[in-house]
Amino acid sequence: MVRAKRRTVVSVAAVAAALLTGALVVTLTQGTGQAADPNLVVYPVGHRPLAPDFTATSLTGTPIRFGSYRGKVVVVNFWGSWCDPCRREAPTLAVVAEQYRSRDVSFLGVDVSDTPANALAFTRKEGITYPSVNDSGYAVTADFGRVVLVSATPTTIVVDRTGHIAGEIYGTATYSELTSLLGEAAVTT
Amino acid sequence: MTDVHAPSDTVSAGADATAPFGVAETELDGTGGGATVGPPAAGADWLRWGWRQLTSMRTALVLLFLLALGSVPGAVLPQQGSDPGAVQQYFTSHPGLAPWLNHLGLFNVFAAPWFAAIYLLLFTSLVGCVVPRTFRLAGSARTPPPRAPRNLERLPHSASYSSALPPDAAVAVAASVLGGHRFRMRRPDAPDSGHWVSAEKGYLREAGNLLFHLALLGVLVSIALGGLFGYKADKLLVEGQQFADTAAALDEFHPGRLVSGSDLAPFSITLNSFTASYLNSGESRGQPAAFHAYITYTASPGAAPHSFDLQVNHPLSVDSTKVYLIGHGYAPVFKVTTAAGQVVYDQPTPFIPANTSTFLSDGVVKVPDAAPSQLGFMGVFVPTAVSVGGTLESVFPAADNPVVSLIGYSGNLGVNSGIPQSVYQLDTTGLRQLTAAPQVLLPGQTWTLPGGNGKITFVGYKQWVSLAITYDPGQVPALVCGILALGGLLLSFLVRRRRVFVRAVPAASGTGSVVAVGGLARTDASGGFEDEFASLSAELAAADAAALAADSVGGVRQEELEPNNQPETGA
Repeated sequence: MVRAKRRTVVSVAAVAAALLTGALVVTLTQGTGQAADPNLVVYPVGHRPLAPDFTATSLTGTPIRFGSYRGKVVVVNFWGSWCDPCRREAPTLAVVAEQYRSRDVSFLGVDVSDTPANALAFTRKEGITYPSVNDSGYAVTADFGRVVLVSATPTTIVVDRTGHIAGEIYGTATYSELTSLLGEAAVTT
Repeated sequence: MTDVHAPSDTVSAGADATAPFGVAETELDGTGGGATVGPPAAGADWLRWGWRQLTSMRTALVLLFLLALGSVPGAVLPQQGSDPGAVQQYFTSHPGLAPWLNHLGLFNVFAAPWFAAIYLLLFTSLVGCVVPRTFRLAGSARTPPPRAPRNLERLPHSASYSSALPPDAAVAVAASVLGGHRFRMRRPDAPDSGHWVSAEKGYLREAGNLLFHLALLGVLVSIALGGLFGYKADKLLVEGQQFADTAAALDEFHPGRLVSGSDLAPFSITLNSFTASYLNSGESRGQPAAFHAYITYTASPGAAPHSFDLQVNHPLSVDSTKVYLIGHGYAPVFKVTTAAGQVVYDQPTPFIPANTSTFLSDGVVKVPDAAPSQLGFMGVFVPTAVSVGGTLESVFPAADNPVVSLIGYSGNLGVNSGIPQSVYQLDTTGLRQLTAAPQVLLPGQTWTLPGGNGKITFVGYKQWVSLAITYDPGQVPALVCGILALGGLLLSFLVRRRRVFVRAVPAASGTGSVVAVGGLARTDASGGFEDEFASLSAELAAADAAALAADSVGGVRQEELEPNNQPETGA
């Protein structure tokens, strides 16, 4: 009985020790390499996924073809009038859009699971002047979702001049995150 | 002639007879094949000791427990893979704690190295336990029976009879009887080692055991398949709405470890209409009779659309993904217009059934872009309304007389802070109630709000369905392997391995011989070997006598002397 008990204790302790050591080693070796901001993803030049081309209708009813933005840096923002964090980041997007207008940076909203009436009330109130496509059926979201992670709104994707995705921001985009991604996107080979 | 002895208390028959029936019982209890205890000496011993510890059943159970324990933070804390927004929110609200949790991988538990360590060790432990045992079982299923021991009367079951035949002929007759019972047999290798035959039966037990172990491995692999590549999701869809199977569109998304967004089946579904029919009379009036969700789906973007009638036990199968109808409710359509005439809200708003028999439903309308201040409404949707003493009640789940009752608020909804709120709850801390009494609206009716807050119209209602989307590539293999494992287990429990030995020596009188029969059964849990042995030894004696009679009549071949009414042997 005593021997069996001791054996149990020893084996449990051995497994626990092995696990702890392994976890510690992996955590320590990986720790410095991990991005400080888990919500920001940057794709290095040469490893940038190609953004999908799509044609959709704007909130006011005009057709928009994404391919026509080729040659410009495009900020694609997935949002909805029902989405509270989108409301929080809206002023930041409006400011950055205004600042970068002269630098050939376009903004395009993808209004997800929404009605145009609600969405237009949102853009009017928040002073958003760039266009958004109506994606009430998630078609555009799914197109991007097959290339990069678009798991919820808001998600902000920055596409470089060649139509490749330079990086993305999960959740509320901050001024520094957005401008640093725009800096990355400006670099192409 | 036949003399069956009671099992002897002092069994010490030749070591051969009790040679293990394949895998020894102690090995099947899962303690790692009788590992030696105590501190090992050399490095190789340490390794062997470590491996034995890892592959022991005890370690596997401990690892299984750790795996369950390790999953807890994944359920309690927001996860990067399924809800990055919530993770960001957590960082904002817990600036001190969050970086530490992130360092430990607690925001991405199922990708964390320590979690991987647990399940890899568990898998190694199980495989390391099952694979060697599989080989041992396979070996044992091929092993011939051992040599017959010298003193058969010392075996648990024994009998003897005297034969008029010489020893070699007597053993030959016994062998042909045993062969008729499909025993696997072994005869002496050398002519001078006496006259005997060893017979063994019940190898199906080992086959069952082998099947059980292989199927267990199969179950493990299938579960791993499902866990790595499968996913589960829920989606609420209102009539007229469409969604594509992509992470952002799903209300609840639980992806497997190796599922990335691009792995989701690229189908899209539009809910054209939903009908629910209820029993109209009788005691079970109001009970649901049938639900039909008429949908149009496309298997991939640009593919031809198909119509489908989705019902409760009639799921849609598209691209090996299953879509189930699991719930339904009402979504009243509201339109809110400012005093200046600008539309600030126009959409069906899903309400949640508060009472599943009358479908009285609760919901919230939030109009953050209303002017001059934000508006919020707490609403009740009454499908078949009657007034009972001044309060509205629903008497039937179908929308025969739909009515909404709204309590209006104006002020600050609290949504601008960016903290995601539930769409089904209204935080009234920053809000002021517009009127003391709730406003009741029929479809098409408009309520002009006090204080220049515009107006709200109850346009009508739509219905919503909730869908469960599942993809589990391991489901069918796991089921098949589970059934096989059960079959193997039953086989190994019900079939018993047993040995019968026959040894003949010349009789003391000089003519004929004395034939001893011995029997040994391992794990005779279901019993019955004693009876089987008794009838078998009686049959052996009878066959012997018959062989002698035939011999004296003249050269009949022994095979023809087999009795036709062979007793049931159990396997």
